[in-house]
Amino acid sequence: MSVVDASLAGGYAVGDFLLVVAAGFVVLAIGMLYRAVKGPTMQDRVLAVNVLGTNTVVILAILGAALSEPTFLDIALVYALLNFLMAIAISKFTVERGGVL
Amino acid sequence: MTGTITPVVAEVTAIEASLFVFVVLTALATAFARDVLAAVIVFGAYSLGMAALYTFYRAPDVAMTEAAISAGVTTVLLLLTLAKTTRIDHEAAFEAVNYPAAGAAGLLFVGLAITMVDVPAVGSPDAPVWSNPDVTQWYLAETYAVTGVENTVMAVLAAFRGFDTFGEAVVVFAAGIAALIVLRREVFA
Amino acid sequence: MSDASDADAGGRDADADADTGALADAGSAEPVEPPRRSGRLDSETRQGTPYTESQVIMSTVKVVSPFAFTYGLFVTFHGGGSPGGGFQGGAIMAAVVFMIAFAFGIEATRQWLANTVVVALAVGGTLAFAAIGLIPVALGGAFLQYDLLPLPILDPVKYGMEAVEIVGIAAIVSGVLMGLFFVLARGFNGEDSGPSIGDRDSFTDEDEPDEPDDAESPEPADGVATDGGER
Repeated sequence: MSVVDASLAGGYAVGDFLLVVAAGFVVLAIGMLYRAVKGPTMQDRVLAVNVLGTNTVVILAILGAALSEPTFLDIALVYALLNFLMAIAISKFTVERGGVL
Repeated sequence: MTGTITPVVAEVTAIEASLFVFVVLTALATAFARDVLAAVIVFGAYSLGMAALYTFYRAPDVAMTEAAISAGVTTVLLLLTLAKTTRIDHEAAFEAVNYPAAGAAGLLFVGLAITMVDVPAVGSPDAPVWSNPDVTQWYLAETYAVTGVENTVMAVLAAFRGFDTFGEAVVVFAAGIAALIVLRREVFA
Repeated sequence: MSDASDADAGGRDADADADTGALADAGSAEPVEPPRRSGRLDSETRQGTPYTESQVIMSTVKVVSPFAFTYGLFVTFHGGGSPGGGFQGGAIMAAVVFMIAFAFGIEATRQWLANTVVVALAVGGTLAFAAIGLIPVALGGAFLQYDLLPLPILDPVKYGMEAVEIVGIAAIVSGVLMGLFFVLARGFNGEDSGPSIGDRDSFTDEDEPDEPDDAESPEPADGVATDGGER
């Protein structure tokens, strides 16, 4: 019996609590989505999508813990490494709109 | 009809519901964004939600493909394509709705939604794709003994359905050649 | 074509000299150009997309890319025991090349990773997959019947699958993705788009003047070379 299965208050296990926390992070992501869609400037959007990527890494890590699947951390790692690529690609693109890459 | 839908709706957890909202919002924003660069960026956000959704449904291989392809490759290739095309100035932030197209899409959505009643609930142990003793259960039980690898998805792709994978690999190879032909080049340069 | 690329190299030189590492100066160091209505270079200026150094991106990519590449190798080689496999690992490794290209210049990266490497990955992967599939056929079995593979000590089924994933799929995916990246970065501009298919003469004629340019390419090439040495 792992920590995830341990009973918390009201008959809910730690895993259920972690899932609710992950849902809270998704709600935060929806809030950040406003900045990505509305963002007056492209820099706003770059930052928003970068925050969304970091947020997703957290969500994936929490999901891996909540579902007792440590291999899900691999996906979080992929996002952590490649989100950086997405950020530098978009931010270099916004300079002169692809004029300098 | 509502009687059949209700138990399925009742099983949607908080994380699923929030991820659904996130994914639908990003998809709509991608479709309606007037600025193509904004659409590309929001599409990156869409893939983030999809990867989390796949992960929640215990499909880590699909989630990792979504992560590697969309975060690493699609955004970059779309940006390069944008860098080589001309931009049209827009005043409005969002595309105007094309009502005939929206009507057609709505009809398709309704048609698909009707069939959803007969689709087994997500994770249902009675779903034919899961409870089939000759296919899914056989793969899950016998993969390690037969092939010596633990990842059933990879065993199915590389061994049990290896010929299909060979076809897919050739398709990827052909895509590279097709890009060369379309751009009228002989070298990747 | 050679004129254009000469001017191009000159422009890039001036650019690199003027703003060593200052992203903000990129606009001022550009060659004189008409005011842009929509924030874009016109097609002639854009052709030799100038490369702008950024110290932040370059040094961060130097730190991140070895880890990302190792992780791509891990995903490829460890696909049998954890999520992943050749497709995902190949995509991650190609993404590392994109990362390096964005940091050190697409043109320099293209010269560092020669066309032969990209083509060898894509073609070699397809041929390796086909060979692994056809060896059992030659030995009287079915296509991809791994247990007939002539592997002396190792388990032929397990290592045959790993070989298909590593030598076949990962190589094809990474090679084709890198190729698409370089092709898209070069773009298409009508007749001036370099050697065209079925036009062998123009291929050799136009390719020769390019070679000296490549040899004396400005400092981005050096940066990539040192980076390649470190890695």
